Amino acid sequence: MNAPAQQHSEQIVRFSFSQRLEHIVTIFTFTGLCLTGLPQKFYAKGWAQWMVEHLGGIDQTRWIHRAIGILFVTATVVHLVNGLNALLSRRSAFTMLLNKKDFEDCVLQLRYYLGLTDEHPRYDRFDYKQKWEYWSLFLGNIIMGLSGLMLFFPTVFAKVLPGQLIPAAKVAHSNEGLMAFFVIAVWHIYNAHLQPDVFPFDTSIFTGKISRERMLHEHPLELARIEGRSADDDHGHHADASRKVG
Amino acid sequence: MLKTRLFLLTALLAFTASRARAGIPAEQDDCLGCHGGDKSMTMDLPSGEKLPIYVDTAVFAKSVHGEMLRCADCHSDKNGYPHNSKPFKNRRDVTVAYYEQCKACHFANYTKTLDGVHFAVLAKGNQKAALCVDCHGSHDITRPTEPRARISATCAGCHQKESDVYVKSVHGKALAEQNQDVPVCTDCHRAHDIADPRDGKLSMRTPEVCGRCHTNEKLMAKYGLSTHVVDSYLSDFHGMSASLQRKTKGGPKGMVAAVCTDCHGVHDILSAKDPTSHTVKANLVQTCRKCHPGANENFPSAWLSHYQPSWNKASLVYGVQLFYKFLIPFILGSLAIQIVIHLWRVVVNR
Repeated sequence: MNAPAQQHSEQIVRFSFSQRLEHIVTIFTFTGLCLTGLPQKFYAKGWAQWMVEHLGGIDQTRWIHRAIGILFVTATVVHLVNGLNALLSRRSAFTMLLNKKDFEDCVLQLRYYLGLTDEHPRYDRFDYKQKWEYWSLFLGNIIMGLSGLMLFFPTVFAKVLPGQLIPAAKVAHSNEGLMAFFVIAVWHIYNAHLQPDVFPFDTSIFTGKISRERMLHEHPLELARIEGRSADDDHGHHADASRKVG
Repeated sequence: MLKTRLFLLTALLAFTASRARAGIPAEQDDCLGCHGGDKSMTMDLPSGEKLPIYVDTAVFAKSVHGEMLRCADCHSDKNGYPHNSKPFKNRRDVTVAYYEQCKACHFANYTKTLDGVHFAVLAKGNQKAALCVDCHGSHDITRPTEPRARISATCAGCHQKESDVYVKSVHGKALAEQNQDVPVCTDCHRAHDIADPRDGKLSMRTPEVCGRCHTNEKLMAKYGLSTHVVDSYLSDFHGMSASLQRKTKGGPKGMVAAVCTDCHGVHDILSAKDPTSHTVKANLVQTCRKCHPGANENFPSAWLSHYQPSWNKASLVYGVQLFYKFLIPFILGSLAIQIVIHLWRVVVNR
């Protein structure tokens, strides 16, 4: 765990400096890639041409895109190596791994939203939505990085692989990129800014801190573990406290 | 008195004579009285050249201007006798000096030439640059498009090298067989506002230039050719790059993405089925290598040969396309539904 127990002033450290830095790097690289990539996909549109023109022409736009892409891929590799290292050296339980409870939580959460139950899932460090977004981004990064490299060095890849992979990579890069843009623009912005629980802005990933009250509400199982008590001790935040972390 | 009678007689004679000869207004100037007689009539120029000053009345009569123009309409400085002669050094000086005479009537085309490469060359001081009369002729001007093949022959007068290549191309060969569908020089290069082909602007325009015929359903059906060559090109990497490079202010920097002519050739375009064509499968690697030096024999299949991906052609590309066609709406739809039901529950809870 990256969050040592800190109960004073009702603020709990949720993210380490390196995690916050990674998030900032992701914001800038992702935005940069969207700004230089989407106009290439929608090259026939007026706004796209306007953007490409203001980025200094298509050739310069592509060089910027590739430079940011390299940074993005590097950040992903660093993240992967750090994650694997932490996991293998057992310095931390990898709280982002999917488990059975996530699927149960998802079903329960949807049933709750639909009004079929009043029981709300009790989340640990990351809820299923956060995990889904994390793994989508992670998988997306791999697809984007690989297909991006193929488009960057088409002749090199065609030396060892069938040539048709290049246009296939272009289709994948273009569609995956658009999907990632929409997932972030709709889903992430909703969950981190617009949804009623955090509106207008969830600052925890920037300050690294979260209020104990929000922890109790959003991550009760983690809070209980941090505070060294059984999750059952929560005074009736939600009816069902029998679920334990897997 | 005698003088007056003599004058009237001459005038009457001249009038009846001109009526009899198909009414050439030029004759009324009586210029042809001197210039229409002696075929060997020349003028000595300081360069040592002899300037022929004989005009064949019959040829002029048959020209497009034969029934319309007087000599002085073009030779506007020669309206009296003796002529006020200008100090011409050589024959080319004469042509250049009279070149602007066409402007008075053909102003639109004259203006276009100001944007053309020939004028640009002339403005730099090269007097060899083609002027109106070099392509159209002078006293013998006839419709330049009759027959159409004449246009390419006209350009060949100076551009022999290009013409030699063109006549062997799929277009040039068909033209020689009186085919009226194929492009002659001016169809691609234009007639008056001919762009300099060296600055890349013309090649950037090739999707539009070639597309004029190659997207014409009726015309292409005649030859069994696809009309999707332009849109399949534009939706591919080269096409989108070239489209954006074309929009870049001050022209593209660095390498320009491949346009039609980069793969198919310029004057040497052959049928894609011709075994010596640049685009036939056996030669494609060589064509790709012009821009992609490291390309090996796998590489040409990265280009889908103007085909839209389908199960039969480029099935991998088609599969990926199909995958995302379903995945994107599914993912975004699921997320949207979750947001909506979440908000609904929030409202209900209040």
